[in-house]
Amino acid sequence: MLSLLLKSMRSRLIPTSLVTISLMASMVLLLSIERIQQGAEEGFNQSISGVDAIIGPRSSSIELVLYTVFHLGRPTNNITTKTVNDVKLRGDISWLVPIALGDSHKGFRVVATEPNYFEHIKYANGQPLVFSKGVAFAELSETVLGSDVAEKLSYRVGSKIQITHGSVESIGSKHDDFSFVVTGILNKTGTPIDRAIFLDLKGYELLHLGWKSGKKIFNLDDINLSSLPEDALIPKTVTAAFIGLKSKLTLFNFSKNIREYPKEAISAVIPGIALSELWSIVGLVDKGFQLLSWIIIAISLIAMVTLIIASLDNRKQEMTIYRANGASPKFLAMMVLCESLVIGLTAIVGAIILVTIVTYFATVQLNLALGISPSFKWISMGEIIVFSFILLAGALSSLIPAVMVFRKNLHQTLS
Amino acid sequence: MLEALGLEYRYQHGKKIVFPEIEIKRGQRLLISGFSGCGKTTLLSLIAGALRLQSGYIKFDSANYSSMSSLLLDKHRADHIGYIFQTLNLIPFLSVSENIALGIRFSQSRKSKVADLNQEISRLVCSLGLEKDALNIPVSRLSVGQQQRVAVARALLGKPDLILADEPTSALDSDTTKKFLNEVMETFDSKKQAMIMVSHDASIAPFFDTVIDFNKQHA
Repeated sequence: MLSLLLKSMRSRLIPTSLVTISLMASMVLLLSIERIQQGAEEGFNQSISGVDAIIGPRSSSIELVLYTVFHLGRPTNNITTKTVNDVKLRGDISWLVPIALGDSHKGFRVVATEPNYFEHIKYANGQPLVFSKGVAFAELSETVLGSDVAEKLSYRVGSKIQITHGSVESIGSKHDDFSFVVTGILNKTGTPIDRAIFLDLKGYELLHLGWKSGKKIFNLDDINLSSLPEDALIPKTVTAAFIGLKSKLTLFNFSKNIREYPKEAISAVIPGIALSELWSIVGLVDKGFQLLSWIIIAISLIAMVTLIIASLDNRKQEMTIYRANGASPKFLAMMVLCESLVIGLTAIVGAIILVTIVTYFATVQLNLALGISPSFKWISMGEIIVFSFILLAGALSSLIPAVMVFRKNLHQTLS
Repeated sequence: MLEALGLEYRYQHGKKIVFPEIEIKRGQRLLISGFSGCGKTTLLSLIAGALRLQSGYIKFDSANYSSMSSLLLDKHRADHIGYIFQTLNLIPFLSVSENIALGIRFSQSRKSKVADLNQEISRLVCSLGLEKDALNIPVSRLSVGQQQRVAVARALLGKPDLILADEPTSALDSDTTKKFLNEVMETFDSKKQAMIMVSHDASIAPFFDTVIDFNKQHA
């Protein structure tokens, strides 16, 4: 029977491959939408870990997470170092890492922080940051690069870089009077950390010594660094601070206290909550995608049934001849069922292979846009259900020609 | 062997045909002649069990058509009847030998009568005047006359008890018709088989022992 089936399908090569291709195309669409959406959510939630709270100027928590975690947008306000030091003195705090944002290098954001950043900040369920090369910065003229930065700009340990004031490069905005030496490159994390450049807060402060209101007033070359007083390089303000608590149980109490801090309007954001708030906004798009994928399933099913019925006349003659020669209904049903299975499975396997390729590129795109890398997977339970649903519908619709052959009088079709 | 009594058939468009009584024994060759559209093909379809009886009855050995489902009739036809269709009904993408083999593919009893399928197919093909080389080429590459022979070989394979032939010579010129019928009659086993052929061509009557003229019957 199989050889008969294959010969029959080969004789209808064009319509059969059209059905297969259209089915495959819609499955690819369906799968990629689902994968991208799942991957985005996953990568999104894994972009920061190990941080119990982020404190920053009082604003929306989503805004704070966007620029501290995703390095998107620009901070509207800063908090004073005095406030940060006050918070640091609290008994419920285990560690605190301040960060200052604002500068960039060739499109990559600069994060000015302290060396303990690399010790405390984690990603994807508590994985620590690891240096693929070199070590953390120890001097104010040293810098650490995220893996993408090093890769895209071909920097190595020992490379020298200059920082641009603000996030866009323009003439006169470069801190060209001071360069930083790369001392370490981080391993790839699949988070926005890969696209960041880290330097010491003091080095960052030094860069801005000669600046006022975004304009350079005097050049660093003109001053003697060693003559600077000790506290001249301690920044007056920072953008935000990442905080680890001794016990998570004190988290809500802590954030309440922070909100009520009398000397400055600051707030504490719990990353998990802020991330899921942020995702619920993105999730609206997600709902749209889900609707879209159901529409795609419906369309591909209609297309498949249409194409099968369209090729009915061809099939009917062939099946009638089998029947005239004594083929049982079971035989004919098996023929058409096997055919739809062959088509369906080919489409599914093809779709999975194609989607693997699509997911790969989508991952690259997502990584570029958000700095998150969705993890890769072959096939999920939900997808298996959708596939079986499609296979079943295909099989049922393919039975139509077989049933018609048996409902019609043999006599009418044969003579 | 076969008895068909009181057959009548009313078409969907209202025309009604009353068929003559038909009785045929093993070894008998029956020609039913008559002009086109007089219901010859319908009669063959009824005898083949491809069309349900409306009135009258057909008995084929111990099988009574009126009490059989169309599935049983399909099986009965596959086991006992070799049908040469007017429209040939060959499957274009199969080779000559694969098309011929379809004749016994679905019948255990006819399969059991063929010891060596390839040998039997070449024997039939040769006796029907087809080249042996033609066996493996797609049937769609053959001429109509050659396709006709393939259809005949398919009907004859596995020695069915009854051979039904619907205008098998309609596409052939008179010389080829004679040659073709000679070949067909040579493969006919007069001890075990019977044959009913319908044709509008009365000139082939000498090949048969009984002739029923539909035109006269109606007149």
